Amino acid sequence: MRTPILKQGKLLIASVQDSMTDADLIQLRDDLVSGVRRHRSVGVIVDVTLLDVMDSFAARMLRSIAQMIKLLGAEAILVGIQPEVAFSMVQLGLTLEGTMTALDLEEGLAFFAAKEAAEAAGDDR
Amino acid sequence: MTAEIVVPIRSDADILLARQRARALAQPLKFSTSELTLIATAISEMARNIVTYAGKGEVLLRLERRAARSGITIVARDSGPGIADIARAMEDGFSTSRGLGLGLPGSKRLMDEFDIVSAVGRGTTITMTKWER
Amino acid sequence: MTGQTHSNPDAAPAFSETMEITEQELAKRKEFLEFRDEDVKVLTGVNDIARRYADEVIAEFYQHLLTFDETRAFFSDETLLRRVQNMQKEYFLRLTQGSYDLAYTQNRLKIGAIHERIGLPVKSYLGMYNFYLRAVASRLIKAFAKEPERAWSVFQSLMKLTFLDIGLAIDTYIHSRERTIREQQEAIQELPTPVLPFREGMLILPIIGLIDTKRARQLTEQLLGSIRANRAKVVVMDITGVQSVDSRVANHVVQTVEAARLMGASVIIAGVSPEIAQTMVTLGIDLGRITTVGDLQSGIERAERMLGYTVTRSAPRHGAGAAE
Repeated sequence: MRTPILKQGKLLIASVQDSMTDADLIQLRDDLVSGVRRHRSVGVIVDVTLLDVMDSFAARMLRSIAQMIKLLGAEAILVGIQPEVAFSMVQLGLTLEGTMTALDLEEGLAFFAAKEAAEAAGDDR
Repeated sequence: MTAEIVVPIRSDADILLARQRARALAQPLKFSTSELTLIATAISEMARNIVTYAGKGEVLLRLERRAARSGITIVARDSGPGIADIARAMEDGFSTSRGLGLGLPGSKRLMDEFDIVSAVGRGTTITMTKWER
Repeated sequence: MTGQTHSNPDAAPAFSETMEITEQELAKRKEFLEFRDEDVKVLTGVNDIARRYADEVIAEFYQHLLTFDETRAFFSDETLLRRVQNMQKEYFLRLTQGSYDLAYTQNRLKIGAIHERIGLPVKSYLGMYNFYLRAVASRLIKAFAKEPERAWSVFQSLMKLTFLDIGLAIDTYIHSRERTIREQQEAIQELPTPVLPFREGMLILPIIGLIDTKRARQLTEQLLGSIRANRAKVVVMDITGVQSVDSRVANHVVQTVEAARLMGASVIIAGVSPEIAQTMVTLGIDLGRITTVGDLQSGIERAERMLGYTVTRSAPRHGAGAAE
């Protein structure tokens, strides 16, 4: 099923639903890339709180999504990986190296808020 | 002998189906959310190998009982190219090294029992079981 | 068709109730004692003499036991005493009945296990064997007064056999002790590891004792659950109490750190001793992205800085020097 993407100011929030097929992940990537372009978003939060299983394909996909978003000049952060999922991921060696992570949506939003505040403070000087 | 559920694997959509069927089958057993996630993840990896390397195959699911404990056994089977160097495929280094990239050592760690039979040109059969604690 | 079966090595190992011995092991022990077919012949050859003296020897034996407080305590009950005396007679006669095979050793192992279970000390057990040998020796000399070499030959064979028995008996004692140790270790490992919420956003995870795969997994699962429950951003993993690390333990630690990171938490490993640091380097473990510090306090301070805390002392310490 298609992942709903929400626009919140300069951010895009994608809330992954419980079971993603490969096609769903590819669709998500395309939607986020076009979304970042269209809205000139500065940040993307991919929320996988509801994702039941993260296998090698999903991990690779999410990592490349983050990388592509970075190339487009925005920042991506992956949030909501559940304890059980994190555990299986490390057993399989899926560490999502280089991808930013945070506990949940709240923390993800806090990250971007802090970033914005820091940048604003820098601009004031 | 308990009933066996066969999930034909022909495309990536079937990977998801195999996981869902396994969760449903394991429902009456006393597995924690963690354990169900481990099982589903191992199935996902093995089913994915079938799609990637063999094109098609099947995943069999069945419940087991041994010495007053119940468990679930998953057989992932294909008639694909087979694995030439099983030892290397099963090499278990640190989490960052994944042998031949087939996720075999990792999946073995997720399950309690893990058996692999494979021959070049004849295909691969992986049998794994997880028991209730 | 090539294949390999792998079962998880940490999935419940079984430790047998009584010790077991293989044909090979038995053969080795006999060889070491030089117990051969001739010895079997020699011993079976005096079976009739043994029968003649059995009751006498047993009676003497128990008289000896009952004169000592320590051993008398074990045989205070009349019916128990009678039963044990019968068992001893059987044991005694069995020494000269031949067929010293696996069934023979299994019987001896069982007897040893029973004595161990009732708490009979090794010294008493050995003392009993000693009494037997002396009691039998004097009777052999009497029986073979005209052929002293024969008496000596029988005695030698008997010594070999009883030493085989003694070896088995002591092994059952050791086996039982080892089983107890194993059970205690398992009990220790069942103890849950406390995950301590320290400050808002910080958890301290003290690692105590041995870490095996099962415990490491429990630890990781607990930690990840705590990260979610406490919304932790930094975890201080204190390994001060860990004696040594091998590649497996190190692997577990690395995995735990990686899993925590997936949940948005950083891990600081505190309490890295010089020995462990050395081992890590030798094992070639790349802790590149993992922060490690020498002691718990440094770990906590580092975590606090990461979380944006500053700790200041509001009043001078009592007894501190002038330059406070």
